[in-house]
Amino acid sequence: MNTVELVIFLFFFLLVTVIGFLAARWRRADAMDSLDEWGLGGRGFGTFISWFLIGGDIYTAYTFIAVPATLYAGSVVGFFAVPYTIVLYPLIFIFVPRFWSVSHRHGYVTPADFVRGRFDSKPLALAVALTGLLATMPYIALQLVGIQVVLEIMGIGGGENASFLEKDLPLFIAFAVLAAYTYASGLRAPALIAFVKDTLIYIVILVAVFYLPTQLGGWGHIFDVASQSFDKFNSDNAGAIASGKAAGKGIMPPAAAHWAYASLALGSALALFMYPHSLTGVLASKNRTVIRRNAALLPAYSFLLGLLALLGFAAIAAGVTVTNPQQSVPALFDKMFPGWFAGVAFAAIAIGALVPAAIMSIAAANLWTRNIYKAFINPDATPKQEATQSKLVSLVVKFGALAFVLGLGTQDAINFQLLGGVWILQTMPALVFSLYTRWFHRWALLAGWAVGMVYGTLTAYNVPVPGKAGSHFGGPLAIVPFTDTTKGYIALTAFVINVLVAVVLTFAFRALKVDNGRDETSPADYHADAGDPGVEEVLEGEPGTAPTAR
Amino acid sequence: MSQRNAAPDGTARTRRTGGLWRVVFLLLAVGIVVPLLVGLYDSVDPRLFGFPFYYWFQFALIPVVSLLTWIAFRLSLRATDQDRPSYGLPTEPGSRSTGHEGGERR
Repeated sequence: MNTVELVIFLFFFLLVTVIGFLAARWRRADAMDSLDEWGLGGRGFGTFISWFLIGGDIYTAYTFIAVPATLYAGSVVGFFAVPYTIVLYPLIFIFVPRFWSVSHRHGYVTPADFVRGRFDSKPLALAVALTGLLATMPYIALQLVGIQVVLEIMGIGGGENASFLEKDLPLFIAFAVLAAYTYASGLRAPALIAFVKDTLIYIVILVAVFYLPTQLGGWGHIFDVASQSFDKFNSDNAGAIASGKAAGKGIMPPAAAHWAYASLALGSALALFMYPHSLTGVLASKNRTVIRRNAALLPAYSFLLGLLALLGFAAIAAGVTVTNPQQSVPALFDKMFPGWFAGVAFAAIAIGALVPAAIMSIAAANLWTRNIYKAFINPDATPKQEATQSKLVSLVVKFGALAFVLGLGTQDAINFQLLGGVWILQTMPALVFSLYTRWFHRWALLAGWAVGMVYGTLTAYNVPVPGKAGSHFGGPLAIVPFTDTTKGYIALTAFVINVLVAVVLTFAFRALKVDNGRDETSPADYHADAGDPGVEEVLEGEPGTAPTAR
Repeated sequence: MSQRNAAPDGTARTRRTGGLWRVVFLLLAVGIVVPLLVGLYDSVDPRLFGFPFYYWFQFALIPVVSLLTWIAFRLSLRATDQDRPSYGLPTEPGSRSTGHEGGERR
């Protein structure tokens, strides 16, 4: 255990904890007991603060820990995160402005709100809301894994022989602190902490991606060492690879894995903006133009994400040997940097995981309160009851995430995020297709969703961890139906099945003239911009939410 | 795609801005499709600054797609403004004007 490292880490951790609790007083409203105040920060966030918040969706433990870990582990498809973040922005450009417009005209705050309004269907909205809640949990779990590996590398809570309590106690403490200040301060806490987080993260990223290669003989050498180490693994384990007990390693996908690579990238990109927390961030944008401009500007982040991913190879070149690949980047920092800087880096990673975990749990909680609690349980809820519900559910969601961490193996944490993608992508036909057309029948969309969810979950369940027969949820890839050997991202396969079911049943329901509900939106709603009639009015006091304190 | 949406006066839109939107979607399609064609770039050589082709090609795609998206953004601004009347919206949204349309902003 390195004392300097630990002291620096604890300093920053305490700092953000204090900020987290003080955040309740920042831009303070009269009371924290309405959903607008707790869950949406009083809706007073301008472009600048929103930018930091949205940044939290991009630089998470996913970027820092999980993606480099897949490269360190020699996954041939590990670099898919880069095409994923390239493909993402043109997609946002195309469909998100429409979602922004219709949401601002009708006061929709969650994806399920829109589905309810468009299809006049509570069951379909419920399906979308439940999927959002479920899919957010493994994504938060990924953040907790990020915190866990940092703690392990610092020598607290880790160790092969540590007892269960010793091993997980520090994680529980970090988790309890996160839960407590989210409960107390709502969205204000992560928004304020995001400033500390982003500053630390940019320093660490820039130093890491420019300094480390100079110490490790340059990128060319790093690639060579990684490649040779994978070749050696493949020849040493040729028998196991041939029999399917181990996966072959490499620095790029062989032809057989091309579809796996492309489908992971496309599936992840389509999935990202279905998540409740992403859409909440987008709705905070000032107008449609901001969204499209950002779609062109945000890819700058992808560049750093790609360089960060390559730190997995840098760890190999630096001779880092860890049994859990998730530890590779923290171990690399520990080995290559002086204690104080490693402490800063670890703090950056841990805080960089806490912020999105808080934002995600709040967004999921809002989804519960608006689309399940108010829609089904207590339609006459007071603003105070709504806020109480959201606060409690933000805790429930985090405990769900903890269950994922403790219940599933953390060796391949990226699988958490990819499993969330399998589920959330099934809401796309109801959410995105219906931004363009109302051809689909609401019951057909619900049936498609159900089939996609069942297929995706079962298929993911049946994927064993490599080398462990009979284990479950071992990876995001499965053989695509009607092919012999082509593997693809389960989320995308399930999505295609989902759409096929929805199309076939739409024809059927239309032929039978089953009622398709009343659409409360009009075509102009999908083009309205800030300042248009009906748009600003909606922002000030929406039907279905508490009146704002302003 | 969206230019075919059932607008109150969709035909006007297709005639006036349909071409513009087609260019926008073509530019965006490049950014969506090319990164997924792994067969285009799955080779080690030629290397650049030590990076295998596979890696530097994908890094190079980032600014290229960013630029294409920016051009698409500029074009879409023009097309959006021209489309607004056909959706029954005021020529200019209130927030982008100098504030004369205060009556509409409520």
